[in-house]
Amino acid sequence: MVQDKLLKIHNLHKSYGDLDIFKGLSLAMDRGDRLVIIGPSGGGKSTLLRIVMGLEDITGGDVYLDGKPYILRDGGKTKIDHKLQARVGMVFQHYTLFPHLDILRNLTLAPVKTRGIPRAEAKAMALLERFGLAAKARAYPSQLSGGQKQRVAIARALMLDPDLLLFDEVTSALDPELVAEVEAVMMELADHGMPMMIVTHDMHFARNIASRVVFAAGGVVVEDGPPEQVLDNPQVARTREFVERVFARKK
Amino acid sequence: MHFDPTIPFKYWDALLIGLGTSLRLTLICLAIGIALGFVTSQARRSRLMPVRAVAIFYVELFRGTPVLIQLFWIFYCLPMLIGAEPGNFISAVLSLSLYAGAITSETFRAALKSIPREQYDTCRALGITGLRLAIWVVLPQALLRAIPTLLSNAVALFKESALISAVGMADLMFIGSSIANRTGRPVEMLTAIAIIYFTVAFPLTRIVGRVETRILRRLAV
Repeated sequence: MVQDKLLKIHNLHKSYGDLDIFKGLSLAMDRGDRLVIIGPSGGGKSTLLRIVMGLEDITGGDVYLDGKPYILRDGGKTKIDHKLQARVGMVFQHYTLFPHLDILRNLTLAPVKTRGIPRAEAKAMALLERFGLAAKARAYPSQLSGGQKQRVAIARALMLDPDLLLFDEVTSALDPELVAEVEAVMMELADHGMPMMIVTHDMHFARNIASRVVFAAGGVVVEDGPPEQVLDNPQVARTREFVERVFARKK
Repeated sequence: MHFDPTIPFKYWDALLIGLGTSLRLTLICLAIGIALGFVTSQARRSRLMPVRAVAIFYVELFRGTPVLIQLFWIFYCLPMLIGAEPGNFISAVLSLSLYAGAITSETFRAALKSIPREQYDTCRALGITGLRLAIWVVLPQALLRAIPTLLSNAVALFKESALISAVGMADLMFIGSSIANRTGRPVEMLTAIAIIYFTVAFPLTRIVGRVETRILRRLAV
């Protein structure tokens, strides 16, 4: 039996009024994949993650999770299967922790209040321990550094055991010296085989963590392949131009 | 006749009773007003147009007209409408509560609006939706954000409550000005009343500043 793809996006269309963000984008992801999406800013990379998280309406196409229809258009409306949505997790650029709750309760709120997961606290403590944050369990988000907050946000997403974790520019709001600690946590998740879809501007990190790099521009996938191909030896002229520009800027 | 600062001290017991009435009235109206204001802020976000319309009409009417005139409506026009005299205290509570409800509803509305969009996205991503989203995420943050302004509202209400003396309630203002009239010592008495109001209000306004800094620091994420 051929196993279904973990995620399959088929012929995705998305527009805001006259502005077409996606014009038939298709993309599939296996369980072992760590997909980094690169592309020009304003090209809809974050929108793509938000769609996969079920936070955005789509204009056309469909999304499958584990071979089951997850997001589709039906009767002029976007239909989202909330059971499948619960299997996807997302970490946002600005951490968005709950400022009125301490770190431990930031982690346990969703599992306890929406899923009735038993022993959520023990699980949360284990995750905080694993990310070097056990001492902060009773601290409030405002008492943490940006890097610590983002690690908490990742731990919070992991509390629900997602089958797929989305990272939307999670290091962009951080001071440079704090980026490494967040990337280290993500590398650790990668080593544990966590399927991830990552939007980042950090090409060095992209090369390190990606099993595949997808270059999206003009509303479609332009190039899709291993990082050595897309980042070092792009096959498509448009990708080459983008990658050269990005690396030139870095130097 | 020269300024005699000892005069108000001769009437300290009467002034104290007046202060008690003012404080009691303020606290009762504040409690009712906060509850009413919260309900109204929710009504303004209702999906039902008539509910929204009533809420907006109420808030704008009481925010946009002098409190003194609102008092006259309740004290003199309401009895004509309902054909019964509710009594001084009830009328005072009713009018100041309505006023407090109108201003605190705006406080709650601003606090709800100030919760960033990302909090809602995060909750959807975590599967926290509907009533759970409201109870565990939105309301606690909104209430925290509202506290400093609610304290300011409380101070304003305490001062505005002096207006009920105009319709014959024996509050601090009423008792003070009665004594002033009787003794012919308005300067001493009114100054004393002002000092008493200030003594209650000033610490509260200081607390507002402190609480605000602390809450903003906590919520700055």
